[in-house]
Amino acid sequence: MNTYYIKKDDFVDFVKRLSMEFSTYYLRKQTSDFYWKNEQRRILYWQKYDGSLDGMVLNWVRANDPLKQFIFSSKERICQDFQSVEPDDRPLLIIGAKNCDLVALDILDYVFLEGDFQDPFYAKKRKLSFIIASDCTDPLEICFCRALNRQAFPTKNFDMALADIGQGYVVEIGSQKGQDFISKFISKFVIANSDQLEERQRLREATSEKLESNIKRLQIPNASELKEIMQSGFSSGVWEDETKTCVECGCCNFICPTCHCFFLGDSREENKNIRYKIWDACLYKDFAVVAGGANPRKKLYQRLRNRYDKKFDFFPTVLNMIACTGCGRCISGCPGKIDIRRILKRLVQERQLVK
Amino acid sequence: MKKDNPYNSVKANLLEVITESPSIKTFVFNLMSPFSFATGQFVELYVPGVGEAPFTPSSNPSKTDKIDITIMKVGKVTSRLHSLNKTEVLGIRGPYGRGYPLDNFKGKEIFIVGGGVGLAPLRSLIFALLNEKSKYKKIILRYGARTPEDIIYKSLVRQWQNSKDVDVKLTVDRADSSWKENIGVVTTILSKNDVDITNAVGVVCGPPIMMKFATLKLLEMGFQDSQIFLSMEKNMSCGFGKCGHCRIGNYYCCKDGPVFTYKEIKDFPEIWD
Repeated sequence: MNTYYIKKDDFVDFVKRLSMEFSTYYLRKQTSDFYWKNEQRRILYWQKYDGSLDGMVLNWVRANDPLKQFIFSSKERICQDFQSVEPDDRPLLIIGAKNCDLVALDILDYVFLEGDFQDPFYAKKRKLSFIIASDCTDPLEICFCRALNRQAFPTKNFDMALADIGQGYVVEIGSQKGQDFISKFISKFVIANSDQLEERQRLREATSEKLESNIKRLQIPNASELKEIMQSGFSSGVWEDETKTCVECGCCNFICPTCHCFFLGDSREENKNIRYKIWDACLYKDFAVVAGGANPRKKLYQRLRNRYDKKFDFFPTVLNMIACTGCGRCISGCPGKIDIRRILKRLVQERQLVK
Repeated sequence: MKKDNPYNSVKANLLEVITESPSIKTFVFNLMSPFSFATGQFVELYVPGVGEAPFTPSSNPSKTDKIDITIMKVGKVTSRLHSLNKTEVLGIRGPYGRGYPLDNFKGKEIFIVGGGVGLAPLRSLIFALLNEKSKYKKIILRYGARTPEDIIYKSLVRQWQNSKDVDVKLTVDRADSSWKENIGVVTTILSKNDVDITNAVGVVCGPPIMMKFATLKLLEMGFQDSQIFLSMEKNMSCGFGKCGHCRIGNYYCCKDGPVFTYKEIKDFPEIWD
């Protein structure tokens, strides 16, 4: 497929036209100066489009909250009085998703779409979502996608991907749906020239270098070591030590782009029996408890370890894919300052001491 | 692949409630849509407005008009179930998972070890084995309960014993004066003299601690880890590998189990907890 170029004003018009058919969410910067003066508090969030694209940011970094929420709702009514609830069928347009959220969709797609049963709610929203992704240009100190061999620019699971090169965007097409939309507005999209492609490449390399030098400075382990250190470090004292500041809030689960566990909650409301599908957190004490009271992970450190075990051992085994994208959200969200990079690094160091 | 809503339950009419022991009752249902299961598979039983819980049916899988589910009162859903009268409308989803591999069992001695309410799935298994009795060399049941009154399916167990269809030995942890059989935990009635280990499979179902020690005993008797079939209980919520609650190592108990060989899961941590 061709790679295009569009001027920024024309892109705004394009979005406004599309938003007549879609519920649109775009990436917006936090407007308070207080946040912007402090790099660590830099926050982008998803803003529902309401006629204006004020504060839209199409590069910088991922949103504070994960993309998954649009496709896998935090709380969703799924059944009522033995009848299936029909999933919402309004198409979604999401603008500004970064690669750390896009690659996470591979994990969610595997969970919800594969196997003997498909989740009809996820399937419908996934199908109805039109994703306009964009390059990450200003990764945070906590970002470490390159250590996990992920790119900071969109590589998959998008319909269109934008790279901001100053006056306009270089636009890559990721799906037939994306191509069809471009075709409808073809007068605004021109084939990108080699200077524009080179500029995109230059910016991408600069971002990558920024990430890689940070990874090197902090000695963050590489993806290739992680499955082995999870296995060698299963009985390590690191888990208990790192759990000391955990308050079992579940933030690391909820904010994670790949965490997908949920529970089915039944309730009676206004004489109707309702079943909800609600996000759950494996850090919570009752997560794996059975009715008789047995709990395979009674201790908090076992539950913290379980989260890592699933990301760095389970998914690499069943899907040949690490279920961490290096987005760093669990680091910034944790009130106990538990740092996934530090834990992985400590496990590597312990293994080296044993060798 | 099924495209409809797999989270939705179908209606199940509760026809009868049978008291099996002070804490265990059997609930008999008929379903408004056709339903069949393989022995060892499980279902999600739904009390409308209250919640769901996973159970392995205890009835004969060849019986398709009614389904029995034997339930111990232990949690929120089961307490509500125990308070129900008959003629209630409940819900059911399933069946889910991998049951007992009966083809693998053919021609062998089936050495079944049960504890407490763990006899419920095993009753269904024994019914299934007796449906094709000639295909199995021998059916052996070793069952333990806390006290004589905690033994479930008493008359059926006696009937198996008397008919010699099943070689039955029972034990209780604490006896009363009328008890004439063994006293002690279930491992005290497991003997390699009762089974031809070279041509047998072991099947274990019961509380986690009992499953652990029964499995270790079977290994000590000479069973291979691939000959031991365990019916695992984890927190199965969705039932088909989506919700993430029932992971055992690289498996989900709901879709890859609930029946596993010991060989499949022995290297994973936390399996007995």
